[in-house]
Amino acid sequence: MTAVVQATAPPTAPIAGTRRWRAALRRPMGLIGGGMLLVAVLTAIAAPLLAPYDPYAPVRVTIFDIFQAPSAAHPLGTDDGGKDVLSSLIYGARVSLIVGFSAATITTVVGGLIGIVAGYRGGRIGIGLMSITDFFLVIPEIALQIVIVAIAGQSLVNIILVIGLLGWATTARLVRSQTLSVRERKFVHRARAIGARDAHILRRHVVPAVLPLMIANTVLVISLAILSESTLAFIGLGDPTVISWGQMLNFAFNRGAISAGAWWALIPPGLAIVWVVLGTTLLGTALEDALNPRLKRHHLEKDRSVAVPRSRLPLERHVGGTPSTVLAVRDLAIEFDSPSGPLRAVDGVSFDLRRGETLGLVGESGCGKTTTILGLLRLLPPGGRIVGGSVRYGDDDLLQLDSAEMREVRWSRLSLVFQGAMNALNPVRPVGDQVAEAIRVHERGIGRRGASRRAGELLERVGIGRGRYGDYPHTYSGGMRQRAMIALALACRPDVVMADEPTTALDVMIQAQILELLAELGREMGMSVILVTHDLGVVAQTCDRVVVMYGGRVAEEADAARLFADPQHPYTQRLLASFPDIAHPERRLQGIPGSPPRLDDMPTGCPFHPRCPLAFERCPTEVPPPFDLGDGRRAACFLVEPDRG
Amino acid sequence: MAEPVAVVRDVEVAFAGRRSLLDVLRFRPAPPIRAVDSVSFAVAPGEVLAIVGESGSGKTTTANLLLGLLPPSAGHVELDGRDVARLGRRELARLRRSVQMIFQDPYESLNPRMRVADVVAEPLRVHRVLGSDAEVRERVREALGEAGMTPVDAYLHRLPFELSGGQRQRVAIAAALALRPKLLVADEPVSMLDVSIRADILNLLRALADEHDIAVVMITHDLSTVAAYADRIAVMYLGRIVEQGEARAVLSDPQHPYTRALRSVVPVPDPAARRVPQVLSGEMPDPSRIPSGCRFHPRCPLAFDRCRVEDPPLFEAGPGHAAACLLVEGAPAAKDVRD
Repeated sequence: MTAVVQATAPPTAPIAGTRRWRAALRRPMGLIGGGMLLVAVLTAIAAPLLAPYDPYAPVRVTIFDIFQAPSAAHPLGTDDGGKDVLSSLIYGARVSLIVGFSAATITTVVGGLIGIVAGYRGGRIGIGLMSITDFFLVIPEIALQIVIVAIAGQSLVNIILVIGLLGWATTARLVRSQTLSVRERKFVHRARAIGARDAHILRRHVVPAVLPLMIANTVLVISLAILSESTLAFIGLGDPTVISWGQMLNFAFNRGAISAGAWWALIPPGLAIVWVVLGTTLLGTALEDALNPRLKRHHLEKDRSVAVPRSRLPLERHVGGTPSTVLAVRDLAIEFDSPSGPLRAVDGVSFDLRRGETLGLVGESGCGKTTTILGLLRLLPPGGRIVGGSVRYGDDDLLQLDSAEMREVRWSRLSLVFQGAMNALNPVRPVGDQVAEAIRVHERGIGRRGASRRAGELLERVGIGRGRYGDYPHTYSGGMRQRAMIALALACRPDVVMADEPTTALDVMIQAQILELLAELGREMGMSVILVTHDLGVVAQTCDRVVVMYGGRVAEEADAARLFADPQHPYTQRLLASFPDIAHPERRLQGIPGSPPRLDDMPTGCPFHPRCPLAFERCPTEVPPPFDLGDGRRAACFLVEPDRG
Repeated sequence: MAEPVAVVRDVEVAFAGRRSLLDVLRFRPAPPIRAVDSVSFAVAPGEVLAIVGESGSGKTTTANLLLGLLPPSAGHVELDGRDVARLGRRELARLRRSVQMIFQDPYESLNPRMRVADVVAEPLRVHRVLGSDAEVRERVREALGEAGMTPVDAYLHRLPFELSGGQRQRVAIAAALALRPKLLVADEPVSMLDVSIRADILNLLRALADEHDIAVVMITHDLSTVAAYADRIAVMYLGRIVEQGEARAVLSDPQHPYTRALRSVVPVPDPAARRVPQVLSGEMPDPSRIPSGCRFHPRCPLAFDRCRVEDPPLFEAGPGHAAACLLVEGAPAAKDVRD
């Protein structure tokens, strides 16, 4: 997966403070919302300058002044008191916004404090605080607001306090859950290990992480507060001494605007409320989208577009693959979208997989190993696209199949063992059922009973035991889950199993068990295995042949024995020199300086040349093709070019 | 050998386990879970001690003990010759400066919002060891230099996402070095890193021990990563140290059947040397259900009658080399080293 992360990471830099704010405002939603709110705020500030009349000034009213239709003197007509509607509307922005901002501030401060304390402290205090919060959440707010305002009196301050103090519960919940997740982050553990006190951890780690979300939430709460104020004013519980949009609606409604046909007294304040509420909601939602990590979407999207020209021609080029070849990959090219254009993650990768063999796909993270096998299965993450090459399986080119045909092949013929077994198992279904389901989906005739019998046998075979058929994944240990994952992958007796770092997160002993199991099952069922790993020891112990990848290309391919005994590509040599060998603890290990190239910063020429100790003039300018060294051995390095003297 | 920096003596850490319904009905307290049980070891300045074990073996609990994040239920932890349990709050804070930790996951252990300079300065600010900002800046540069983040200026203002995994781990090491600790506890410092980078980080830790006389406790499940770097190795199984000794001796002549199995499953990067690894069946039992007798006997290929009933102490198997196995007791050099 790392390759994919790297592929998509550079354009969307994570978390970096101001970037995200700017990103939020750059979205159309955020831009429009922010603009709408800004207009309202400026109107409120400049009210005395903008309003043609002062709505608070006492006027003498005659019957002819009431509900005057719009005219040059009164662009929006007059209301029931003969006052200019436009002026009231402009001054009303002040009250609505003051109520909105003040109430939202109270909500944020109270809810934020309670949320942070409840989330950070946890334990009894946390549970107690959250019980209070839950209590507030279920109270019908508007009803309580009406009661309190009716009792406490209809002043603007009371209205602000009531709205603010009844609305904090949602904020508290949100902040608490965010605090909880930050509290469990490793960098907070590290701060604690340094010896930092709670005050420091809160100030330096928790609050900065929670604050952006709180601000986004505050913006959303403003709109709710404005709505609440309008509601209260409309039902006659507003502050009678000030002009607000709700108040305007209330007066117009109660004093015959409808019977007088005075639409101008009703529609403008209504639209003003909609304007501000819509503006704040858009802005708040845009901010939340950009700042709330929980809302990020990520999942393996099925069958992304394959942009390979449709033809049955490329098959000819497979001539040369031996009859025992199960899978023949030729010139596979995969791109990822980025704001600066498509980035090449896999470039011209070719290899054959023979029947019954275990092929190791090795290289550092970000070299395109995972992307390659996800590409073969056409399971690239969003933004990824196969742009060239062919993958022959039997008589078909997998890249030419339509989605339905590909679904047939995937899993039943070519299956995948993921790295994180927990993520690949459905947490709410018993493991045995999941295996049985995989069998039934691909073997329609087998029936429920047959499938569950087979699933039981499989669980037995992978060392889990039938007894745990009905248990859920979370009751399994890490090693057991990986065994379950293998059972799932083998459910349909596939020809090819691709295992993506199947043992990386596991202890050595469990790793040994899993590798042994994979090898045994491979032999038993005559399967071919592609093992993606960065662990050269694992490769040496289990693989027949090895493909070394670097920078999205094949650097070297050889039999395992030859590769380890006599590596040809400098990258392979360096990789081997960095790997510890417990049989030779005296050997000093050497890392490879630098790191693998990023997709958006791919070197010219040979991708390895910036880190290569043996690079010479040709390397930065020419891309070395894979030179055939005989006996199925290839290396993409000018130093092994056969014609070189 | 110099005075040890840290001494752990017969330490036990027990947590209250889950009470089953039956326990509740019978008014029985929750059964204790012994995460660590009669563990003793010491680390000297400039020494690298590897604590090797699978997950659940108690190695991370041991790390937390050394950091003073966890009080032992029994036994003593001495840092710099002083018993941690007897120190006042202020003295403890001072002492804790001298023990710093390096975490497994450099992608997670750095706050993504903090710049490199702030990450490294954080321990200095937490402990207020240096007065002026200029001093802090100077120390930060020094620490980054020692951790190999050169040229320092190029990295000071970077955010973690702009760094590679290896560079992040170096920043974490620099932050640990800022307080000039006497003991570094590294919990799987390289297991999340690419193979190509591991060697550099391990070389760095070794150099810190050699050149700055820092004691390093490296916690890992992988014998191969410590083989070339550790002076001594302690192998833990289910809360106990089952074998300890000079790294060479433990690796070339493992005495405990568990160590032998652990040694044999390490993949060797040489297809010609493919051998049948001695894979143990099953997994380490739950620490709440420790087997009777020798805790390893249910998985031990060599277990015999006595193993089911007798809990073997560490027996000497050679100079400075001991293993908790009844088979070692039978050997001529054997004697109970705890006496």
